[in-house]
Parts: sequence; structure tokens; C-alpha cells
Amino acid sequence: MANRLTERWHDEPWARNEEFWYSGKTTRRRFIGLTAAAAGALGATTFVPAPWREAFGQAKPFKIGVLQPLTGAAAAGGKTALVGTQLAANRINKSGGINGRPVELVIADYESKPDVGRRKAEKLVVEDKVDVGEGGYLSNVCLACMPVFEEHRTVYMIGVCLDTTITTSKCSRYIFRPFDYAPSQAVAFAPHMVNKIGKKWHIVFLDYAWGQTTRDAFVEQIKKNGGEIAGTTGIPLGTADMTAFISKITGTFDALYAIMFGANAVTFTNQAYDLGLLRKVKYAGDGAVAESTHLTALGQKVEGFTGVNRYIPVMTKPLDTPHHRKFFEEAKVLLKQMDPTGPDPDRYVQSNFEAMNFLKLGIQKSGFKGREDSMKLIQALEGMEVKEGDDFPQGDKLLRKEDHQAFLRQFIFDIHNGKHRLLDVVPREKTVVPPACTFPKA
Amino acid sequence: MLPFDQLVVQIVNGLVNGMILALVASGLTLIFGIMDIVNFAHGDLFMLGAYIGTTVFFTTGNFWAALVGSVLAMALLGAVLQTTALRPLIGRDPLTTILATFGISLILQNYALWQYGPVPRRIVEPVSGHFQLFYVDYPWYRILVAVLSAAIIGGLYLFMKFGKHGIWIRATTQDRVMAAAMGIPVPWVHTVVFAIGASMAAASGVLFGPTVGVNHAMGFDFTLKAFVVVVVGGMGNLGGSILASIFISLLESLATIWVSPAQAIIVSFVALIVTLLVRPTGLFVPTPK
Repeated sequence: MANRLTERWHDEPWARNEEFWYSGKTTRRRFIGLTAAAAGALGATTFVPAPWREAFGQAKPFKIGVLQPLTGAAAAGGKTALVGTQLAANRINKSGGINGRPVELVIADYESKPDVGRRKAEKLVVEDKVDVGEGGYLSNVCLACMPVFEEHRTVYMIGVCLDTTITTSKCSRYIFRPFDYAPSQAVAFAPHMVNKIGKKWHIVFLDYAWGQTTRDAFVEQIKKNGGEIAGTTGIPLGTADMTAFISKITGTFDALYAIMFGANAVTFTNQAYDLGLLRKVKYAGDGAVAESTHLTALGQKVEGFTGVNRYIPVMTKPLDTPHHRKFFEEAKVLLKQMDPTGPDPDRYVQSNFEAMNFLKLGIQKSGFKGREDSMKLIQALEGMEVKEGDDFPQGDKLLRKEDHQAFLRQFIFDIHNGKHRLLDVVPREKTVVPPACTFPKA
Repeated sequence: MLPFDQLVVQIVNGLVNGMILALVASGLTLIFGIMDIVNFAHGDLFMLGAYIGTTVFFTTGNFWAALVGSVLAMALLGAVLQTTALRPLIGRDPLTTILATFGISLILQNYALWQYGPVPRRIVEPVSGHFQLFYVDYPWYRILVAVLSAAIIGGLYLFMKFGKHGIWIRATTQDRVMAAAMGIPVPWVHTVVFAIGASMAAASGVLFGPTVGVNHAMGFDFTLKAFVVVVVGGMGNLGGSILASIFISLLESLATIWVSPAQAIIVSFVALIVTLLVRPTGLFVPTPK
């Protein structure tokens, strides 16, 4: 980027002016003028890449405020999630933008902290004046930022956060979740868990918003399907050594269900294996435990793990489609730029990619021009049904009108020879749970 | 009635965790004791040491080469950091060194993310067996880590007690001005001490790496605990920090018999507050006569 900037600013009209180079006197007016021009050039180059500026001429870009944790404890996931957003933005701009206007990403790093997230969300809507918001990763940060978007009547298309309450008790007309949530996952996976893995379960969860609501959903569905819960163990987010928690998991049960993600999942699986727990009982859990980005770090220790996920990087039926292959290969190129090991895309890449495409369709359908048209965009998105294709390689989806929650097919998989192996596909219709949202009155 | 099996498991856990923590904390306390620097980058040196260990491990396939390679590389990096970023701040307000180490911490974290990417890395442990400890299959590797930590700390103790340069370091701790007057190259001692502290952090990172997976955030939790230990043990007191590590870890482990491990962490902070109120110089520092 730095090189590109250095090369380009020489070509700007203000820089060709000989007065600029040879005048020995810098007046205050000239200094301010040049500073403003330089800032403008820098800003434009930073947010809208040069090729798109040339392609779109004077068209005003849609400003999309992207919130991700790019530093701090959740940085690994945030950086992966951002790849999905960037991939979609690149494709949108390459294919002529949305209604002839390019997409400009205004990326904000919330440092994995809810208070910073809220502040950055405010900056995006107040100072950067973004048209819509996208992203999120940690559920507690999404929950902290939602009131900001609601207050400023700005649509926020969540890219990752899975906390159930986002589309139930804390739902908002301005907030959309274009991917699954725990009640759907539990409905999809619990029959397989109880009938094919074990009757008696111990649940280990990350002790914060997402982990707690996911635990509740699975406890309910395991019991509904005739299973039993032997116990639950909450582990605080970011615990470096989990042996104290794992060595307290005692009693008889058939299988362990882990609700973990990122480095926490890697630590838990490593240590639960080392302490013999995973050799005594069957191991299952949220798909985030065994994302493609974790498999190298877990090695043999995650072998045999069974999970449920909205996305797995396999090319077997029904995922052996040209749309999925295209998404997979393009995402892999971007991921390789971010991580030298070149990991396969995971669900964070997929859901952010598709979240951006939902926004694209919504803007196209509603004729949305800016934040003043937020209600039109909301109405266009409500009840939107999309088909599997280049924009939605994961499969068909319905963005339910009543709670802005999407329903999509789920993949049940295991880890076999260090790779994902698809065991079963639960169709979208079998993941539907009744809405539990009453939108606050505007 | 106290369950005997849980008691034994938690005592073993407490001792093992205490030794790992002692290795992290001893580097931190050494740097503070000699240089009066509260090193906020210690957890990041721990993390970067583990990452360098993964690079050497990936190249050689040998855990011990990874350990030695990482220790040497981080000693060099520690020396460079001290010379370039911290030495110019000697004699200034302590707040400036705190800010400097905080800045180094941010740089190292983001460097690790940029260089190694967000995907967690793996170092395979050299010993993979386990033994039955009541209801837990306890891994031999954790015992090995505790023994190696004790050996490294023991080696440091012998070096400080009997080595010529160790004596220089102790003299600098006692009286910097007098040490300089006696011909001890104090700035060089500072550099060496920071290098030793960094290499100990690296050793802990590589030793701990196989049990957690190496990621850019692995140092956060340990740094916080190490700071508690350093205060409870007596700022700059090496022996005190080691005893405090074992004391705090045992307290936490035993508390988990009755409460959730998440609540047991409170015990460390209670110990910290009590220490600051009752004996601010540290629980394991001899009372001045």
C-alpha cells in the first residue's frame, strides 16, 4: 500500500504543478490547501482502491462500516472474518458495484473489547457517516454495538455473532443475522447426538453471552430428544490454562459437547486430550472447535470429533458446486496473503461474504441511496429468500421477517485423517425454530 | 469430608502450574529487581518465544532444538530491545519505561499476527505418555515441564550465586552506583539481565506451547498472574517469586475443590490485596532488621 501511495501521488494534478516543487516559500494558505489535498488523496486511496476509483469515476461509493477485532484476544478470528467481507466487496466492485456505485469499506478494529466496539460503532455512524454496518465477531461486542446502530437508524448486517438473544429478546429492526444461531444448530444436531453418539452428555462452554445461550439451546434439545445432561462447565473466555476446569469434570457420561471457538477451542481440545478426557468419552461440539484454521494446531488430538457447522471446506456433495469451488479458491488466495500457511476458508469467511451479498441484494431491491433510506432497505431484506449461487455458495437461505434471523442448511461432520468429512446434511426446513422476537416500536 | 483423590489431583496440579508460573515470573522479577522496569511486554516475549519455537520445530522437527533456538533468539532480541528502547530511558520517570514496554508489547503482538498469521501453530511435545492419577490420566509432559522449569530456575540461581557475572548482577541489584564505582559495567549488566529475562520467557513459551497451541494471545493470562506473583513474592525478589508462584497456584488449585475454577482465581487477587495491605514488601521477603 505504501509503495502504491508513493507512486500515485506523483501523478496527482496538484503534484505536477511546478510551483509546488520549486517555490521557496510556503504560505499558510498553501500549506493548508496542500494538506487538505494530500489528506483527500490519501483518504480516497485508502478506502476505495485505485482501480475502482478509475472504473466508477465520480460515483459516490456506498460506505460500509465494518467492525472486526483485528487486535487483542479475538484478532485471529476477526482477521479471517474480514477476508469474507473483502472478498465480497472485491467481487461487487469488479462486477460494476451496486446500482452503479462502488462499495467502500470503512474498517474499524474494536480490539476485542466491548467498550471499544461501542465507541468504534459510534465513530462509524457519527463521524464516518457510513450507510450501513457489517461484521462483528464477539457476541458481547455485537450486543454492545447494536443500540448504536438502532439509535442512528442504520442497518447492521451481522457477520459472525451467534448469541441467541441478538434475534430474540434483544432483537431490533435495524439488526439482521444472515446465518444460523444456536437454537437452529441444536434442533439440527441434537437428534444425531442422542441417537448416534451418546445419551448422557456433559457440556463445556465459554462462559459469556454466546457460550451461555448456546448451552441453553443444547440442554433443551438434548433433553427433548431423550438424552440427559450430566453436567455443564463454564470456562472464562481467554483462559490460558484450562487444566483446573478439565480436572473437575468427573462423573459418568457418554460424550462431551464443547462450545468453544478460536484459541480457546485449541487450548481446550489439547488439554482435554492430554488429561485423558477425550480418550474416555466421545467428543462432539460446535463446528467452531474444529475450524480448518485449527486443524494443524490440534493434529491427532481432534481426530474423531463430530460437529455441526453452517460451513465446512469440503468438495463432496452437495458442496461440490462451481459456486463453492469459486468461493473456496478466491478465499484461499486472500487467506494465503493473511497467513503464510494458506488455511482453507472457514465459517467466518463464509458468513461475512454472504452478509455483504445480502446487503447488495437489499440495496439493489430497495433502491437504497443512503442512511435516510434505511427503512426501505429493512423492508427489502425482511423475508428475503436467496438461492445457492455465486453470492451464496453455502446454500439457500431465508431471512425471516419476524426476527431477521436466517435459516440455512447445517452440515454434520467429523474429523477424519485430519480433515473434515461430511456425514449428514440437515435441510433448512429442519432447522427452523419459532420466532421469539418483538421489535421495539420505532 | 474432603475427597482425598481430588485433594491429591489438585495438589499435583498446583505444584506443576506453580513451577510453570515460576519460570514466567522469575524473568519478570529479575528484570524488575535489577532495572526497576515493570515489563508489560513479558507476556509477548513469552508468546514470541513460542512462535520462534514453532519455526525451529517446523524446520528441524526437534523439540529440544526449538527450545534452545528460541531461547537464543529471544536473548538476542531482548538485548536489542533493551539497548535501543529501554537504555535511553534509564533515570527517567518510571512511567516512561512502563509506556515503552507497553508499546513494545503492542508491536510484538502485531508483529506476530503479521508474520505468523492468525492460525494457531503447533509444537509437538517430546513426551506423550501419561500416568493414572486417580480419575485423571495425568500427562508426563506436564511433569517434565515442571522439572525443566525447576532446572532452569535452579541454573539461574547457581549462576547468580556463584558465577562472576551473577555476582555482578547481584551487586547491581544492591547498589547500582557503588557497583559502577567498583568497575562493574552496569549498562551491560542491564542488557544481559533483560536478555536473560526474555530468554526465560521464551523457554516458558516453548515449554507451554504444546499444551495450549501457539497463538498471539497466549501470553495475556500468564502475564497477569505473573504480576500478581511478583507483588506477592516481593518485587524483584527471585526466591520470593518462586515461592509465591507455588503458593498462589496451590491456593487456586485447592480452592477449585469447593468452588468453580473461575471463582478460584479470586483467591490470587485476595492474596494480592492482603499482601499490599499487610506486607507491601512481599510475603516472602525477610523482615528487615
